[in-house]
Amino acid sequence: MSNSHSDTIPLHPSNSQSDIDEIRSLIDDSVHSGPAVVLPARHPASTPPPSSSPFISSNIPPPPPVSSSSSLQKLQSVPAAPPPPPPVGNSSSIVANGFGPPPNTLTEPVLDTVKRDLWRIVSNLKLVVFPNPFREDPGKALRDWDLWGPFFFIVFLGVALSWSASVKKSQVFAVAFALLAAGAVILTLNVLLLGGHIIFFQSLSLLGYCLFPLDVGALICMLKDNVVAKVIIVCLALAWSSWAAYPFMSLAVNPNRKALALYPVLLMYLSVGFLIIAID
Amino acid sequence: MDLSQPVEENYANPKTCFFHVLFKASALAFYMLSTLFADSFVIIFVITVVLAALDFWVVKNVSGRILVGLRWWNEINEQGESIWRFECLDHESLARINQKDSWLFWWTLYLNAVAWTIFGIFSLVRLEVDYLLVVGVCLSLAIANIIGFTKCRKDAKNKIQAFASRTIASRFSSTLQSAFSLV
Repeated sequence: MSNSHSDTIPLHPSNSQSDIDEIRSLIDDSVHSGPAVVLPARHPASTPPPSSSPFISSNIPPPPPVSSSSSLQKLQSVPAAPPPPPPVGNSSSIVANGFGPPPNTLTEPVLDTVKRDLWRIVSNLKLVVFPNPFREDPGKALRDWDLWGPFFFIVFLGVALSWSASVKKSQVFAVAFALLAAGAVILTLNVLLLGGHIIFFQSLSLLGYCLFPLDVGALICMLKDNVVAKVIIVCLALAWSSWAAYPFMSLAVNPNRKALALYPVLLMYLSVGFLIIAID
Repeated sequence: MDLSQPVEENYANPKTCFFHVLFKASALAFYMLSTLFADSFVIIFVITVVLAALDFWVVKNVSGRILVGLRWWNEINEQGESIWRFECLDHESLARINQKDSWLFWWTLYLNAVAWTIFGIFSLVRLEVDYLLVVGVCLSLAIANIIGFTKCRKDAKNKIQAFASRTIASRFSSTLQSAFSLV
């Protein structure tokens, strides 16, 4: 934003003193409005913003229809994918240069945004559910939280449960969805009220991603109908979910209160597990 | 633009406007006409919520940027604190934004939230808790966008005022200095 000021401030005949003042004010501008322009490229796992250069360049004429057609392509290219999450630092969007929004750099970015958001879901999933070196530091692991992965997992679990149910399908779905959504919110509040340090959305995101093992378990149970097999699969899925959620929850609170924070989480996943077993 | 007529603008970004309205309208329409399309509540829920979520994404990432030049997002910094960031075009580009586009953007945003609230009241009166869930999700998505963009707009106005006052101050001081240097 600040760099664009330099492009659009009109030149006027002046002596060197006012030029120096102008330069000084421009430097002040860039210093003061810096944080708004600097984008989060510091996270190791995130891909660098695709076109941070547009902030500096100044002659990109854009026809809006091109960007809209790219969003059309975007829609066609990701029909079954979950809706991409709110982008963290989509740098190319606002190229403030007075010529209007740039289509060349917008065409790329809409697709790039989609790709980047999908990639973020995958990387968040990997960070939360699979063994990786960042697990010790919860703040670092889910830095780029997003709620679209959890949304997709909750809906998928509800659909899987509803599919397996022979009666009252809609009620099963509604109960599963409401239980998981309200449960995630309440569990987060629980941690916050226990004096823990966790960010609301980060925790919601985490609890949603930890549903992935249970999703896998529910999918397998949908296909196999043997009760014993179901119990074993659900137990494994439950153990995996709890293992995934443990470091984040326990590190967020005081060590004395670890159990108080963890127990409701385990209870929620246990009840979902029971739902999976009991549905037939 | 036709110079002979007084300020008669057309939409500058018709396709973006179309998509902006499309998902909102189809979510509302699908919810209203759901009984015609599908018996199963699950399908109604999933399709309505997916349409509402797509609309949220489109408004936040595409039409917000193109129609009104605003963008908002959340970051978590090194200290682990969550920061909400607001960004806008510089004031010359903002002044250049098509009035019709911006009018459409804001009004459809508000009307969408109002429509979902009305649906919520209906389902509350009929004690249909299942449908209340759908309405709740769609309403929260709509309200999130409204709050984000309103804060962004306020932030943009503050930035413009700050920049304008800084520019005036710096020009004033440079004028003074040049005046004194001539003396």
